[in-house]
Amino acid sequence: MRVSRRTLMQTAAVAGFAGTARAADAIKIGIPVALTGPLGGIGAQMRQACEFWAKQVNAKGGLLGRPVELIVEDTAANPATTVRKVQEMVERNGVRLITCIVASNEALAVVPKLAEWDTIFVSGDNGDGRLTGESLVPNFFRPNVSGPMGTRAVTLWLRDSPMKKFYGIGMDYAWGHNSMEVFEAEAKRAGKEFLGAVFSPTGTKDFSTYITKIRQSGAEGCYLVLAGDDNVAFLTQAKQYRLGEKIQLLTEQVDEMGINASGDASVGLIGGSRYPASLDNPANKAFVAAWKAEYGRLPQMFEGDQYQSCVVMQAGIEKAGSIEAAKLRPALEGLVVNSVKGPITMRACDHQAEQPGFVVKVVKVAGMEHPVPQVIATYPADRVTPPCNKMVYTD
Amino acid sequence: MRAFVCVAIVLAMAPLGLPLFAMTLLTEALILGLLAMSLDLMVGYTRLISFGHAAAYGLGAYASGYLLLHTSLPLPFAVLSASVLAGVVAIGVAWVCTLAKGVSFSMLTLAFAQLLYAVAFKWTSVTGASDGLAGIPRTAGPFGMTVLQTKNGYYYLVLVCLLGAYAFCRSLVGSPFGAVLRGIRENEAKTLSLGYNTRLYKIAVVAVSFALGGLAGALYSPFAGFANTELLFWLFSGQVLIMVIVGGQGTLVGPILGAAFFMLLEHVLSEYTESWALFFGLIFIGFVMFAPQGIWGLLTRRARA
Amino acid sequence: MDLLSFLLVQCLNALSQAALLFFLGVGLTLIFGIMRIVNFAHGTFYMLGAFLGYSVVRLTGSFWAGLVLGPLVAGGIGAAFELGLLRRLYGRDDSAFLMVTFGLTLVLGEIIRLVWGVNALQVETPEALSGIVFLLDEPFPVYRLFLAGAGAVMAVGIWQFLERTRLGLLIRATSQNAEMVHALGVDVNLVRSGIFGIGCGLAALGGVLAAPLLSASLGMAGNAIIDAFVIVIIGGMGSFPGSLLAAVLVAFVQVFGTYYFPDFALAAMYLLMLLVLVVRPGGLLGKEA
Repeated sequence: MRVSRRTLMQTAAVAGFAGTARAADAIKIGIPVALTGPLGGIGAQMRQACEFWAKQVNAKGGLLGRPVELIVEDTAANPATTVRKVQEMVERNGVRLITCIVASNEALAVVPKLAEWDTIFVSGDNGDGRLTGESLVPNFFRPNVSGPMGTRAVTLWLRDSPMKKFYGIGMDYAWGHNSMEVFEAEAKRAGKEFLGAVFSPTGTKDFSTYITKIRQSGAEGCYLVLAGDDNVAFLTQAKQYRLGEKIQLLTEQVDEMGINASGDASVGLIGGSRYPASLDNPANKAFVAAWKAEYGRLPQMFEGDQYQSCVVMQAGIEKAGSIEAAKLRPALEGLVVNSVKGPITMRACDHQAEQPGFVVKVVKVAGMEHPVPQVIATYPADRVTPPCNKMVYTD
Repeated sequence: MRAFVCVAIVLAMAPLGLPLFAMTLLTEALILGLLAMSLDLMVGYTRLISFGHAAAYGLGAYASGYLLLHTSLPLPFAVLSASVLAGVVAIGVAWVCTLAKGVSFSMLTLAFAQLLYAVAFKWTSVTGASDGLAGIPRTAGPFGMTVLQTKNGYYYLVLVCLLGAYAFCRSLVGSPFGAVLRGIRENEAKTLSLGYNTRLYKIAVVAVSFALGGLAGALYSPFAGFANTELLFWLFSGQVLIMVIVGGQGTLVGPILGAAFFMLLEHVLSEYTESWALFFGLIFIGFVMFAPQGIWGLLTRRARA
Repeated sequence: MDLLSFLLVQCLNALSQAALLFFLGVGLTLIFGIMRIVNFAHGTFYMLGAFLGYSVVRLTGSFWAGLVLGPLVAGGIGAAFELGLLRRLYGRDDSAFLMVTFGLTLVLGEIIRLVWGVNALQVETPEALSGIVFLLDEPFPVYRLFLAGAGAVMAVGIWQFLERTRLGLLIRATSQNAEMVHALGVDVNLVRSGIFGIGCGLAALGGVLAAPLLSASLGMAGNAIIDAFVIVIIGGMGSFPGSLLAAVLVAFVQVFGTYYFPDFALAAMYLLMLLVLVVRPGGLLGKEA
């Protein structure tokens, strides 16, 4: 008998099952995640969160008395591969529920086919505003924070800051432009001056020219919409040019991988965080303790956000008593979940979860190898979540 | 001829026997096979090594996707128009690229393909930039035919296109035109001295190759429902070239097998291990060392032995 | 920032960028010039250099050790690959080399991922080079000055090596007429392995030098290989002075082009490549292929 990785995964997930149902009755959840390629680091985090959650659930008797089985496939963040893999999961394995897609362009390719597949997609980290806006489909749900929400948290914090003039640098594709638009609109509404922005192609290695432009702009703060290798390269080089001494660097999301790769260069960075492990509420304390016991370290941002999505899926399935789309969809709409970020509500109007926004600052802490993000501001859900189907705010 | 009819019949019966997902894989394999075969016209028959064939695929995919999203053109016409567009664009590209020979030619194809990638990446209104075009519908055929909107119906469309293109290519390489191409492949200087305008022939074969590659792309975007910049990336061009070489260049059939093999291998390997790229690379190296004539060479050698 | 300091800073930015591009391109052009092999795995050796640099710095604390050991190990791997595999393919057509080096890219890339993991790893600039200097009141990182200087030194060094040393003479002779060199009693195979190793080693050196600017990451190879190709194509395949000229040209076009026309940053390099090839199909200083 062929022992594929899928078979091994099944055995692993079901092995933790403390119940009496057979493996054939398992609840199958599709995990089409980028494990190789430049986004592999994020994919690894998201998968780990799903495995952790599945293990927890199975140890307590599973969902609806049935074991949870994760079907993991590598998409290498190529949308064509993602569509093919999900199609296979649906047609060959009878999967009706997917999560853990890494890149927004993968998500955008999958979303139009959800109706044809009769499958529900619960996002773990896809932040593109359009997924709950113009590209919304009934089978898509977003428990995580969107890009506009991250920007919103930062601009709310800026309202109390004495800084007046801002410049921006973003990656030259959809996310970079969308986030910069939201920032510009929000900054202006906060009475600040937006001096302009520059966009760098994905894969830019040398940011010296961009650093010069930022310096010349006369801004007091610079908003960064960068991710992955580009983010690390920019932060490292900005430090070498001592840019942070003149200009406060702000960013949409502060994640541990970027901090670890840029080290001291990210100290002083202020930005949004989708999930700070230091949150003080009972659900998060339990989660962090269990995570530490299992893996010997604190959970990172993408792990926490994906875990929240898994918990939302769980709550929906338990309420619906089924994973069929026709029953799960109405169960998820309007659902209130006690999450690691506190109580969150999955809105019925656009399937976005209303939740608080956090602003963090990266600081050096004695005794820790890398700098850490520290929460400096928290904003309640109603201030951070945009109006239904929109990506712009009105207050 | 007999073999061709047999294969056609077998493939036509596939939907009766194969499970649902295998049909999905087969449809995509046939599309990629068409793409690889189109490149073989350039690589195998004329020794024009192109590092930019993804441009043909991407052009076809975006063109048909755009037409299906924004006009109510019936699907077969959208696909055909996209293919013609790719061929026409290729004439211009080939005109410039054939100013050079050998490695320089290959590098020019790379430059053009990357330029197209850059344009597609920035031209938001037409290509959707980095997100590409999503939700591409399969519009009803002419006279309100809906058969193409079903899974099996679409499979037959792809099959007919592939078989038709194959028959066309076969007759092309067997014709006097094909003889000149082979002459260019073996010894361009001599062919030139015989009085043939080799440059015109090269431009022609690139245009045909692009038109067929564009046809493949045009069939892909309604099949997958989207078109994005990954389809234009140079890495994909390299993969198509590999498909041709692994399959057996200069045989038309070999590259089709090569494409199917490549796709299946990637799919199956990635199920078994995260390190699938490692085995993928080792298999290619193995092919070069031990099976230089490619898959088709292996098959025909065994048949003869 | 006034015009003079702006120009000074941007020119130095361009020169430091040119140095990195030169290191990438010179190895590839040497390999092609001598062996007629298009080394698809060149970007992966660059990436390997960066990761090796990271490990050496972690183990020994010395960046300088990384600069020496990284290229040596990478060059060794390259030479071994040539010895074991490439050597059997001479006499076959170009597509064989293409496939084999493409296969090597996949294999080596995956090995790097298995050894070093999926996350980007930071390489600290060495203490001595992590300061800044003030050029007409504008801060400029010392490390970039070092890069520009290293590029110049390397360029001169390679030139002298090719012109003045016996090995350099052998290399140049082999590129022009391998059979004659063989007839003169020289082990041409050894020269070839050496060249392939040196080419890969130079790419790795570029990777080690780039690491403090970018950190070592799995996405490096894909970017690097296309940059390397562009440099070599513009300069002329097989031309060492061509790769130097191309590196400087591309760097200046990128730095000043990005400043004045940021929208064309992505397309700039390819437009330049197209322009050069249309005017001179063999590259700026290449022999017509």
